[in-house]
Amino acid sequence: MKLDNIDITILEMLKKDARISFREIARKIDVSPDTISNRFERLKEQGIIVSSTVIINPKKIGYSFIARFGVDVKPAYSSQVLEEIIKIPSVIVASKLVGKYDLISIIVVKNFQHLCELREYILEMPYVEKVETSTWINTMELCPYYFLI
Amino acid sequence: MENRKLDEIDITILRTLQKDIRTSFKEIANQCNISTDTIKNRYNKLIENEVIRGSTIVVDPKKMGQGNLVIIGIKVEQKFSDSVLNMIKKMKGLCVVTKSIGQYDIEAIFLLEDIEQIGITKDKIEDFPQVKSADVGIFVDKPLLCPKNFEFE
Repeated sequence: MKLDNIDITILEMLKKDARISFREIARKIDVSPDTISNRFERLKEQGIIVSSTVIINPKKIGYSFIARFGVDVKPAYSSQVLEEIIKIPSVIVASKLVGKYDLISIIVVKNFQHLCELREYILEMPYVEKVETSTWINTMELCPYYFLI
Repeated sequence: MENRKLDEIDITILRTLQKDIRTSFKEIANQCNISTDTIKNRYNKLIENEVIRGSTIVVDPKKMGQGNLVIIGIKVEQKFSDSVLNMIKKMKGLCVVTKSIGQYDIEAIFLLEDIEQIGITKDKIEDFPQVKSADVGIFVDKPLLCPKNFEFE
């Protein structure tokens, strides 16, 4: 569906600060707060806005870095393994991948021991053939809107 | 500032706001059975201590015509990772870029419109003189976000 200027302004402003009041958004584009409220509900109904969330700094709550896991699995079992990986509490995102690996997962990690434990845990899952990890340096300063890292 | 231990109230605030940032402090207060002012103070403290860095909405990129999430693993000439990193930071569609220890020196995630854009982005990166190679991986389906999204201590 086509988004107009009002929708786009709502999305842009909420991306930067999701607690901003509808009144403030309304003032910016000179429409009524009710219009903003209606549009907001519509964007949610249409699945364009999936959810809203707080951005947490993992470094302040005991995590020290982010690791990217590339996982190879036995053919035809990738969905099954993905379902298991997504349950690991420190996973941010996991997905099937077309490329070097079958699955990819981005995980916040407490320390190197935690990293090793996670690797072993995934390796021991049935049908997993290979796990490769890479450690991201200084990622947390970047704030992508999509991943909320 | 050193890491401060979070207590029950902090964790409830974070968990609730993780699910829906627009939950009113009053609602959270009722849930914890304490005053709205306490929640407000705690929330401000969490911001002050940089535990909370901001808030945002999660949008479905497919619905906005930017369907493809792509990860690119890049190998660069030694000592040039910073300059390559800075160039990638300026590129269109970028979600995350980071230096990395492992198979690649830099990893970047892009949100791109179509296969053509993926090709253009890969070419652009490989055109940087210090880049040795760029491997592309395309996320299939909608990536899953962990329902727990990291535990609090």
